[in-house]
Amino acid sequence: MAHRGSNLRISYLEGNKILPRPYQKVLVAIVVTGALLLPAASSTFFVHLIDLCFLAATGALGLTILTGFCGQISLGHAAFLAIGAFTTVIFSVHLKFPFLLVLPIAAVAGAIIGFVVGLPSLRFRGVYLAISTLAMHYAIVFLATSYQANFGTSASAGITIRDPNVFGFVMQGDTAWYYFLFIFLSLVTVACLNLGRTRPGRAWMAIRDRDIAAEALGVSLARYKLLAFMVSSTIASVSGSLMAYYTNVVTVERYTLDLAILYVAMIIVGGMGSVLGSILGAFFITLLPYAINSLFEFLPSSLRFSTTVFGVQVGAIGLCVILFLVFEPKGLAELWRRIETYFDRWPFRYRPLEATRR
Amino acid sequence: MEFAATILILTCTYALLAAGVVILYKAGRVVNFAHGEIAVLGGYVFYSSGMVTGNSLWFAIFGATVFSIIVGIFVYMAIMRRVVGEPFYVAILLTIGLGVVFKSAIIVIWRATEVTIDFGVQPAIRLAGGATLSYMDVATVILTIVFFAALYIFFRFTHLGIQFRGTAENPLLASQRGVNVNFVLSLAWVIAVFAASLAGVLYGGRAFLSSESVTIGLAGLTAALVGGLDSLRGAVVGSFIVALAQYLTVRLISPVLSDALPFIIVLVVMSVRPWGLLGTLEELDRV
Repeated sequence: MAHRGSNLRISYLEGNKILPRPYQKVLVAIVVTGALLLPAASSTFFVHLIDLCFLAATGALGLTILTGFCGQISLGHAAFLAIGAFTTVIFSVHLKFPFLLVLPIAAVAGAIIGFVVGLPSLRFRGVYLAISTLAMHYAIVFLATSYQANFGTSASAGITIRDPNVFGFVMQGDTAWYYFLFIFLSLVTVACLNLGRTRPGRAWMAIRDRDIAAEALGVSLARYKLLAFMVSSTIASVSGSLMAYYTNVVTVERYTLDLAILYVAMIIVGGMGSVLGSILGAFFITLLPYAINSLFEFLPSSLRFSTTVFGVQVGAIGLCVILFLVFEPKGLAELWRRIETYFDRWPFRYRPLEATRR
Repeated sequence: MEFAATILILTCTYALLAAGVVILYKAGRVVNFAHGEIAVLGGYVFYSSGMVTGNSLWFAIFGATVFSIIVGIFVYMAIMRRVVGEPFYVAILLTIGLGVVFKSAIIVIWRATEVTIDFGVQPAIRLAGGATLSYMDVATVILTIVFFAALYIFFRFTHLGIQFRGTAENPLLASQRGVNVNFVLSLAWVIAVFAASLAGVLYGGRAFLSSESVTIGLAGLTAALVGGLDSLRGAVVGSFIVALAQYLTVRLISPVLSDALPFIIVLVVMSVRPWGLLGTLEELDRV
């Protein structure tokens, strides 16, 4: 640590640190403390919103592994979430399994589906892979639709799931969920950060940057691409399962292509390949519709058509995607990095160094 | 016969969409995921500009044409031009973002109302074998044929068409030889948007348009992929295959599966011939 607080590294091991700068630990501590105290200081509705953000962030982290780390464009993320949700329906509603058993089952189901969806990636890349994940999306949604039509209580209203029971403690209410989801998101975040430092993580990034070069270096493309799909869909599936428990209802209507695009939007806005960025992006995209809704509250009610509000909410997300891709392709994470670099270099104003992706 | 007529009409609609996808891919190596949204938006513009002027067909055509020119030039000059040379996924994601914006425009401006474009020509022609063809269907077929013929003449015989082919082959060399590449690529977008709008209008004339009918874009995209992303002839063949398969699935298996089906065909075709049925081999983009 010769140059405290600077971006300069003097050994390779330093590049492997999750929090390379001393003040980052302080920042993390502040954020965690703030997050733990938040439910006491805010309204139930706000806690509910943050719960949704946490769920979105775990899903987005799953997509980051696949698209951000490994460079495989996927439009099938909604399907992975649907797998989690419908596994939950099958095992908790129809087979009456307890919550703590359903989650691992959802994870395994996600891994299996991830393997299957990942198979075309051995043959295609780029646009063709995106199309093949779309195919898988529609195939899985078809299965889910038939399941809901045949086994649901009513085809339109979806299937109700009861609040999970953990050793006699029924988890209900936004605050209880808040702590649970916060712990879960923290675990997934740490896992993703660590994955970036391990052998598979490095292999994924090599594949993303140039697959042929990676193969020449001895990275098994088939193995690591499939692994990326499996890890990604495992995380997404557990996230989908938790979302099912949290909202208490599963309908296939929620798992549309638009949802998959929403997750892609999160990682674009946050910054492709950045763990911090995925979380920021998930918060941004999840809260954006509510922010727009509250902006519309200022308008006279004669101008507030629900379809207009909905349309503007949708359009704002699309616009954010376009603007970020054109003007700030590295996303919110890059904005944060610039602030960091500014203070690192203070009082000098060197051009920021190209940062490692994190 | 009923069956043949339906498939013919579907093929025409998809072929118009697929042609746009192919032109965009050839010109700028962009796969447009917003094609369905553009088609439906074009249909709505046609409908509204006709409505405003008291059901004037000419003004509706004028409105849709102006729409194609403005949207085509805007999308290329303001957005797609800026990401030339970026990684491939940037262009895909941009078109997805564009699709979302277009869809929201449909929701905001037309409040997501379902719209049927009514040309006031209802009487149908009876064909041998009990099938009926409305004049709308006949118009669809004729317009599609005219469009493809015009494209053929344009690419084959006109000066601009040759510049277009040059740009498609090698943009850098083309610009060195004095081709205005930005103009050509804007033109590609204008043609593609026009074709999509035409498809949207024809689709809205037989069924109805709503913010949900944007899925026809995916059918067009898969038709282009099946036929080969760089082949206009392939677009027609691909459209026929997708239309046939979709019709059969709806009839024999389940309407829900018909969403997934085009993609399954694509997977099968691409596993065997990744460059599509009539595409060229050099476009290989697989592992």
